[in-house]
Amino acid sequence: MKHKNLLVLVMLLVVMVATPLMSQGPKATAQEDTLTVLCTPQEDWCVAMTEAFEAETGIDTSYVRLSSGEALARIRATQDDPEFSVWWGGPADAFIAATEEGLLEPYEPELGSILEPEIARGEGGYWHGVYLGVMGFCSNVEFLDELGIEAPTSWDDLLAPELKGNIAMAHPATSGTAFTAFWTVVTLKADELETAEAGKGYDEEGAPTDAAIDAAFEYFSDLHQNILQYTRSGAAPGQMAGNGEIAVAIIFSHDCVKLQQEGFGEVLVNTFPEEGTGYEIGGMGLIKDAPEPEAAKMWIDWALTPEAQAVAATVNSLQLPTNPETPVSELSVKLDEVKLINYNFMAAGARRNDIAERFDADIAPQPTE
Amino acid sequence: MIRLNLGRPIMGFLRFFRDPVLVISLLLIIAFVGVAIIAPIYKMVEESRTEKGRELFDRYLNSPVYRQIIRNTIQMGLIVGALGTALGFLMAYVQVKTSVPFKRFMHFMALVPVISPPFAVATSVLLLFGRNGMISKGIFERRYDIYGLDGLSLVLTLSLFTVAYLNLKGMMQALDPSLDEAATNLGASKFRIFRTVTLPMLLPGIASSFLLIFVEAVADLGNPLVLSGKYDVLATRVYVAIVGLYNTTSAAVLSIILLVPSLMVFIVQRYWVNRLSVISITGKPSGRPQQITHPLVRWPLFGAAMFVALLIVLIYAVIFVGSFVRVLNVDNSFTLDHFDFVINGYGSEAMKDTTRLSAMATPIAGILGMLIAFIVVRKKFLGRGLLDFGTMLGIAVPGTILGIGYLLMFNRPHTVDWPLLGTVEWMPKLTGSKAIGGGALAIILVYIIRSTPAALRTGVSALSQIDPVIEEASVSLGAGSFATFRRVTLPLIRPAFFSGLVYAFARSMTTISAIVFLTTPKTKIMTQQILNEVENGRYGNAFAYCVILILIVLTAIGILAAVVGTRSGTERTIEGGA
Repeated sequence: MKHKNLLVLVMLLVVMVATPLMSQGPKATAQEDTLTVLCTPQEDWCVAMTEAFEAETGIDTSYVRLSSGEALARIRATQDDPEFSVWWGGPADAFIAATEEGLLEPYEPELGSILEPEIARGEGGYWHGVYLGVMGFCSNVEFLDELGIEAPTSWDDLLAPELKGNIAMAHPATSGTAFTAFWTVVTLKADELETAEAGKGYDEEGAPTDAAIDAAFEYFSDLHQNILQYTRSGAAPGQMAGNGEIAVAIIFSHDCVKLQQEGFGEVLVNTFPEEGTGYEIGGMGLIKDAPEPEAAKMWIDWALTPEAQAVAATVNSLQLPTNPETPVSELSVKLDEVKLINYNFMAAGARRNDIAERFDADIAPQPTE
Repeated sequence: MIRLNLGRPIMGFLRFFRDPVLVISLLLIIAFVGVAIIAPIYKMVEESRTEKGRELFDRYLNSPVYRQIIRNTIQMGLIVGALGTALGFLMAYVQVKTSVPFKRFMHFMALVPVISPPFAVATSVLLLFGRNGMISKGIFERRYDIYGLDGLSLVLTLSLFTVAYLNLKGMMQALDPSLDEAATNLGASKFRIFRTVTLPMLLPGIASSFLLIFVEAVADLGNPLVLSGKYDVLATRVYVAIVGLYNTTSAAVLSIILLVPSLMVFIVQRYWVNRLSVISITGKPSGRPQQITHPLVRWPLFGAAMFVALLIVLIYAVIFVGSFVRVLNVDNSFTLDHFDFVINGYGSEAMKDTTRLSAMATPIAGILGMLIAFIVVRKKFLGRGLLDFGTMLGIAVPGTILGIGYLLMFNRPHTVDWPLLGTVEWMPKLTGSKAIGGGALAIILVYIIRSTPAALRTGVSALSQIDPVIEEASVSLGAGSFATFRRVTLPLIRPAFFSGLVYAFARSMTTISAIVFLTTPKTKIMTQQILNEVENGRYGNAFAYCVILILIVLTAIGILAAVVGTRSGTERTIEGGA
């Protein structure tokens, strides 16, 4: 009896050891007939882009959609064995942060040098600009009427007591949109400080000082009283405004236009802060140790062509294209009609993680009365 | 004395080893629980015990903000646990113990929430009762502020009560009616019978329902993301710490704080239930359940249950209608675009992948749950409590943590240096698109470990009502443990097995927080697609996904009911004999 049990045990151990050995699948061969994209813009744009690329090249292309902060976190988490080959879309700040952490690999695409504005040409080939979007306020007109106020036209308008609990924005840790909003206020505060006393708002390298960042935190701490909820995805507050859950969403203006095109045309109005507003350059970069580097490079070359950039308009994504040859939609924001701030992308990228962490610790969990 | 106390479990342990099939199953189960549940959690614990982790513990536990978040989490868990159990009890009681019309309808509506994907109920409730809700604003002309504890409690209760319903309904049906008859013959009133006979018999089920709902509620991520407003809970803090900041230390520390109340409830429940459990199935013949016919009891109960059922109908009507119009409540023109997107377009891949993976996980989770329940309840050996505990960790740990634990643990192969065989890879890489099945194996494992605890609890509840004498009879007639389990125990706990299977499939189809980190470009999961659709404002697509997901789960339940059967062996005997 005892021997029999022993035998069973030994057999079991052998099986346990041997099973994983046998179950080892064949190692994946490095053929470049596939491409895996980490896609940050809205889902339908990701679909349209991957389909268009597949049609163009015959490369079997798939994607996963993650917001900027999530995408950055995911690349960081899997850097020893990356799953994605190219990261496309989302504010460049996150790409600069990724470059600093050594998560991207330089590549110089053919069209890299003709992109507009100049900042979209990136630095050192680590990232390239694919579109430009402007920060704005997306408001529900019916809700505003009820509250008896006008659509906000300055950042201070958002602090109005009527708007208590009636504003939404995304969380800067997960969303590039929200981070762009935050850095916009940092820049405005830096300008204010600099006007009051030279050298107070900006350091010698032209980056906003800690004092400016502290002032921005103070602003968002005040704004926190008026925020209903921080969403994960940058464009989500626009939807809440459209559905009448909130009065004002702090989002990119093109996301508001997209909603207007897709059923919310009557209810949503798009405004910009008069003192100045921030903007994003949508980035794109080759991921370090990419599993499909050649296909990824083809994507990067292709994504800068007018044909690829024109895909955006087919899904109502009306950001401004960075290739000057790409036709621009009538509905896109006109840069001469808004006042853009001097957005320091390098400084923003360098401070991104600190700010996200501090916002998450100090602002987001604060109770409101 | 001391020798005797020690001798018993050891003797039990040795007796146990005479049954090789049992030993093998047990070792396999322990290995599985160790690798699939304990190891990833241990990885997170390790992370929290670094110097930085201890600092964070200090900071979080001393900060008034985080204390409030902890209080919020526990408060929400207790409220939802209590409401969900009460609601499940009400629906089950009406179903089993009263004679009222529309029972099938109410039964069906009570089942629907468990098969609904995250965000479905939340989104629908927002559209109905939110600040611009079709009812709150449309009828009562009020901007009701649903964001926060009230909205969360409503949505979570409606989403989670089904597990209590299934659990308690199964137990009520299994109650021996002769006890009621005996009490009636002794002159007890109906209420007294309810209080002193029915309720005590159901306590294990009530407690286990409360436990399951509590841990699900505190770990829930989807609904707080949509509805919490600024009523912050730990699960969302953990989520942001990971997805936004990739601060695994902070996430680990927060999740250990989150684990404490879950584990406390779990321990209290175990201690309490073990003392309160009452055996009711004796193997002796019994009659049909007595039903309440008194109109003053029957109709208010019926009214309450019907109200809940109709509320659920309304919620799902919004989802259904919303999937056929462009933007519900804004642009109500008819369209089939949403379904085209899900069935023919981009969503079809996710639909197939999710169904396939869930179908693989379901039988494993169901059988595993019943097997562990059988071993834990019936076999006396050292460490059976640990086995139960380890399995339950699969659900007590917030999904996000399990997900990130998997990512940390299985993103590379694990090897061990063997004396004779050299370096052996005992665990290949499981996560990421380059892993086995494009990361599908990791997702199946998560599905299994997330659904096994529910099957285990329903199994334990059912088994603790069955007198071991029946199984002992089988054993003394010469059947082995496995044969007894398969031919005696399993048929007796068939309703629990069935609900375990249904729950496993539905759970797998609808889970999000655990797999959000594990989806790869090669394995797409519907719930994550729904999340994307909801977040990017295409409610129509999200609703179409929900409708299709619900249809898939309903079909699966139909198949399960046909294959497994929903009634226990005792009921069949009764009907056969009558």
